[in-house]
Amino acid sequence: MKTLYSLAILVVPVFGFLGCSSKNDESSKEQDAELQARVQSLKAEVKDYYQTKVALPIEVQDQLENGEVTQEELDGRIAAGEFPKFFQFKSLEDLPSDLAWEDGSDLPEIGSPKAKKGGTSYGTIQDFPRTLRTIGPDSNGSFRTLLLDDVAVLIAHRHPNIDEIGPDGFRYIAGLAKEWAIDKANQTVYVRIDPNARWSDGEPITADDFLFKFFFMHSSYIKAPWYNNFYNRFFSGITKYDELTFSVRVSVDKPNFATYVLEDIPVPEHFYGELGDDFPERYQWRFAPTTAAYILEDEDIRKGESLTFTRLEDWWAKDKRNFRYRFNYDKRHITVVRDVAKAFEMFKKGELDAASLTLAEYWYDKLPDDDPLVERGLVKKAVFYNQRPRPPYAMWINRDRPLLNDRNIRLGIQYASSWQLVIDKYFRGDYQRLNHTAIGYGPFTHPEIKAREFSVDKALEHFAKAGFTERGPDGILVNDAGTKLSVSLTTGYTTLKDALTIIKEEAAKAGLELRLQIMDSTAGFKLAMEKQHEIHFMAWGYGAEMYPRYWETFHSINAYNPDGSIKTQTNNLNSMNIPELDDLIDAYRASTDSGEMIKMAHNMEEIIHNDASVVPAFQIPFYRIGYWRWRYYPDDFNLMISESSSEFALSWMDVEEKRRTLRALRSDETFEKSIKVFDQYKN
Amino acid sequence: MHLNPLTAKKLNRFRNIKRGYYSFLAILFLTALSAFAELLINSRALVVHYEGEYYFPTYGEFIPGETFGLGYSYETNYRELKERFRAEDSGNWLLMPLVPYDPFENNEYEGIFKPTPPSFADRHFLGTDTTGRDIVARLFYGLRIALVFSMAFLILTYVIGIAIGCLMGYFGGLVDLVGQRLIEIWSNMPFLYVVIIVFSVVPSTLSNTSRILILLTIMVAFSWMGMTYYMRTGAYKEKARDYVSAVEALGGGPLRIIFRHIIPNTLATIVTFMPFTIVGAITAVTALDYLGFGLPPPTPSLGELLKQGTDNLTTAPWIVASSFFALVSLLTLVAFVGEAIREAFDPKKFTVYQ
Repeated sequence: MKTLYSLAILVVPVFGFLGCSSKNDESSKEQDAELQARVQSLKAEVKDYYQTKVALPIEVQDQLENGEVTQEELDGRIAAGEFPKFFQFKSLEDLPSDLAWEDGSDLPEIGSPKAKKGGTSYGTIQDFPRTLRTIGPDSNGSFRTLLLDDVAVLIAHRHPNIDEIGPDGFRYIAGLAKEWAIDKANQTVYVRIDPNARWSDGEPITADDFLFKFFFMHSSYIKAPWYNNFYNRFFSGITKYDELTFSVRVSVDKPNFATYVLEDIPVPEHFYGELGDDFPERYQWRFAPTTAAYILEDEDIRKGESLTFTRLEDWWAKDKRNFRYRFNYDKRHITVVRDVAKAFEMFKKGELDAASLTLAEYWYDKLPDDDPLVERGLVKKAVFYNQRPRPPYAMWINRDRPLLNDRNIRLGIQYASSWQLVIDKYFRGDYQRLNHTAIGYGPFTHPEIKAREFSVDKALEHFAKAGFTERGPDGILVNDAGTKLSVSLTTGYTTLKDALTIIKEEAAKAGLELRLQIMDSTAGFKLAMEKQHEIHFMAWGYGAEMYPRYWETFHSINAYNPDGSIKTQTNNLNSMNIPELDDLIDAYRASTDSGEMIKMAHNMEEIIHNDASVVPAFQIPFYRIGYWRWRYYPDDFNLMISESSSEFALSWMDVEEKRRTLRALRSDETFEKSIKVFDQYKN
Repeated sequence: MHLNPLTAKKLNRFRNIKRGYYSFLAILFLTALSAFAELLINSRALVVHYEGEYYFPTYGEFIPGETFGLGYSYETNYRELKERFRAEDSGNWLLMPLVPYDPFENNEYEGIFKPTPPSFADRHFLGTDTTGRDIVARLFYGLRIALVFSMAFLILTYVIGIAIGCLMGYFGGLVDLVGQRLIEIWSNMPFLYVVIIVFSVVPSTLSNTSRILILLTIMVAFSWMGMTYYMRTGAYKEKARDYVSAVEALGGGPLRIIFRHIIPNTLATIVTFMPFTIVGAITAVTALDYLGFGLPPPTPSLGELLKQGTDNLTTAPWIVASSFFALVSLLTLVAFVGEAIREAFDPKKFTVYQ
C-alpha cells in the first residue's frame, strides 16, 4: 500500500500546478477513487486466481493446443477436481521433516576482500532503452542486463567458478534464500527466504511475492506469451508454508530441474497493484522495486542521453556472503553513444573507464601494447579466458532451398568455407575454429567431431557428385542444365562483413558463388526468422546451462507445419527434418539420466555433422578489455562463466587514483605498465 | 554538324569559361579512362607469354591455373605466376597492369589482412583497406560505378520529370491541379525509410545486379518530382508564345508541340540542372552506402570506403584521406562544370525582355 499512497501524492501536485480550482480537486479525487477501485478489483482477481487455478499436466496442455481436447471439456474435468490446485496454502507443520537444507556456504566466496566502495563508473549503451520494464513489449534489449540479468539477486546463484555436476545439477550459493532443500523424487524445491531480504523500496520480500509471480507470469496483461507459456508449462504448483517459506514444484523431470526454481526472482506484489491491460504503457517508465543493489531514480533518467544508477546505502545484502565485495560503485553512469568508434575515442580520453578490445583490430591496432597510454601505465590491458557454452557462430544452410537440399552441395560448401583462413589472417589467430554447435557443455560436448577443413579439391569433388562439373566463364561451376552454383549468404552482423567477404572470395576458388547480403541486425534476424534465407550467418546466445538444447534448432516440429509448409519464427534455421534425429531429441528431452543424455547428445551431434547443414565458423574463448588504472579487478580477474568483465560487478575504483591519473595524463608521470593474461580457465 | 547559331554561341561561351571547361575535359578523360579500367587496374595480366603462346587474359573467360602449369583449376594468380616465371627464367614472361590488384581480393600485410600503408614497392599506391583490398582499385571501380549509376539516374529522372512536367504545363487546368497534388503527396514519402523497408523484404536470392537496379528504381521513383516544377513553368511560359499558336494553327498535335517545340526551347533549364543532379546522385548513393543501405557488398563504393575511413581514423588515416579526396574532387569538378553551363546558357546574355 505504501507505493500506492505515494503515487496518490505524486498525482496531486501535478494537478496543483494546473491551478487550484475546486474542479481539479474533484477530478483528482475521482482519479483517486478510480485507482482504488482498480487496485481492489485486481486484489479480488488475484485471490480468485489463487483459489481456482489448477496445474495442468504438460500432455493435457499439448492436447488443448492441438485441439484434441476442447476448453469446455477441460473445464468440466477441472470442476470435477481431476487436477491438483496450483496454489496451495499449508502450515509449517506440513513441511516434510526429512529435508536436507543447504545454503552453499561450503563453497568458496566470490569477489575480492580488497574491494572498496565508492566512486562513479562510466559506461555506454548504443541505444536509449525503450522501456524500464523488464517484461513485455520492447523489454528484451541489452539494457535489461543492467536492470535485471546482471544485477538482480536470485533465490540462489550457480557458483560461477565451479562446473562440477552433482546429483542435483550445478552447485549453488544462497541469494534471496537463507537456505533451500531439493526433493528430487517429487521435483520440488523448498525455499526459506532470508529474513533480511528487502525490496529496494524497503518492503520485505515474502512468499507472497513468489505466489504473485505466478499470477503475474500467467496473466495476459504482461503481453509476453513466451513467459505465459514457460511458467505454465514448466511449473506445476507453489505451496506457501509461512511468510518466508514456500515450495515450488517443477513439471519436467530433468537432472537440472532445481535450476528452474533457484535461478528465479519474485515479483513485487505491492508495486503492480494497478496491473491491467494497459500494463505496457502504464509501467513503461516506472522503475520497479528490485532485489539488486542499484536503483534508478526519475531525476537520473535523461531521455535519449543518459541514465545513472545509484547504489542503496543500506542494501539488504551488503554484508551477505558472496555479495559483500561486489556492486562497489556508488553510481553507475551510462551514456548513449551510438558509434562504437566514437565510444572508443571517449575511452582513450578517460571519459569511460573501460573498453572492449575483443576484436583484433582494437587489441593490436587501436590500443597496441606500445600505445603511449599503455606504455605509461595509465591504461591496463587484460585478456580473460572464460569457460561457458560458446555462442556458435556458424553458417546455417537452409535445406529446404533448391541446390541446398542436396547433401553433396552442402558438403561442397563445407569444404569451400575457409574459416581457418579468416581466423588466422583476419582475427589474427586469436579466435578458435568452432567444431560443432554445442561447445562448452563439459561431458555433453562431443570431444572428437572436427569441422571440415578448406579444400578446393574436396569441394570440387562433392560439387561434381551433385552434377556441377564445368566452370563457367567467371570460374563459377555450372551444371548440365545451365544452373549456376550460386547461393546467397545473408547476415545481420555488420561488424563481421569483412570476414564474410573473405569467405566469399575464397569460395569462388572452389567454383561456388556466395552472394553476400549484409543487413542491419533487426532486418537480418527477421529474414532468418521468416526462413527467407539460403545460408544465414549468425550465432545463438546460450545461457550457462548444463546441457545443450536441440529441440529448438534441430527438431522437425520447428521446421515444417503439419500441412508441409515452412514454419516461421522458430530457431530451426536449417529446416532440419531428420526422423532419426527427431526421435533422439524427443528421447533426450524426456530423459532424466545425465549419462544417457550425454550419449544421446553425442549421437545427435554426429548426425548433424553428417548432414553437413551447419558450417561451424569460430568461437571466441576469451574477452579482452582495456581499462584505466583507477579501476581494479580481483587478483584472478573474473569468474569462470563470466561473459563480460562487468557481468558479476566485481570491479571497484579508487577516486583519489583517478584524480592522480587524470593529472598525470597532462604531465609526464608514468606508472607500471600492465598487460595481463588470465588463462586459469583456458582449456 | 549544323548548329543553331545561338547554341553555337552558348557552346563557345562555355569553352571560354576556363575553370568549367577544363573540369569538363577532366571528367571526360576520367570517364574515358574508366572505360579501360581493366587494362590499368586488374589482377589479371595484360599479356602472358607461356611456352611459345600468347594469352590475353584481361577480357573474356578466366584462365585456370592449370593452363600455366599451376596445380589448380581456379583463376590463375598472375602475380604469383610472374614470380614463378622470374624464378624459372625459362623464357616465359607476363606483363601486369600498372596496379596489379582487383578491387575484391584480400592482400596480406605482415601475414594478416589489415590496412597496408601506401607503398610504391607493393604497388599499393594508396594503401589497402581493412581487409587488405587495394584502395586505388576500389576507388577507381567505385568511381566508375558511381558515374554509370548517376548517368542512368539522370536519364531516367529527366525523362520522367520532363514528360510529366511538360504535360502538366501544356494541358494545365485539371491535369495540372491533380498532377500537382499527387506530386505533393508523393514528395512527402520519406525516401530513406522506403529504401530500408524495401531492402528488408527483397528476397536475398536476387543477384547483385538486380539489387543495384532496385536501388536505382527507388531513387528514381523518389527524385523525378523536382524536375517537373521547372518544366511545368517552362511549358506554361512557352505555350503562351506565338510560335506555339502558329504550330497549333498549322494542325500540330500536343505531342509534336511538346517534344519538337517546347522542350528544345527550355533546353537551357534542363542543361543547367544536369551536373547538379549528378552531384546529388553521387552524394545520395555515397550516403546510402555509408549507412549500409546502398550497393550490396563487396561492390566497391566511395561511401563504404569513407565509412571504413572514419572508423579507422587514427589507425589507417590513408583510407579516409584518399576516399575523402576522391569524393571531394569529383564533386568539385562536376560542380564547376555545372556552374559554367549555367553561366554559358544564361538567357539574359542573349535576349532582352521588354
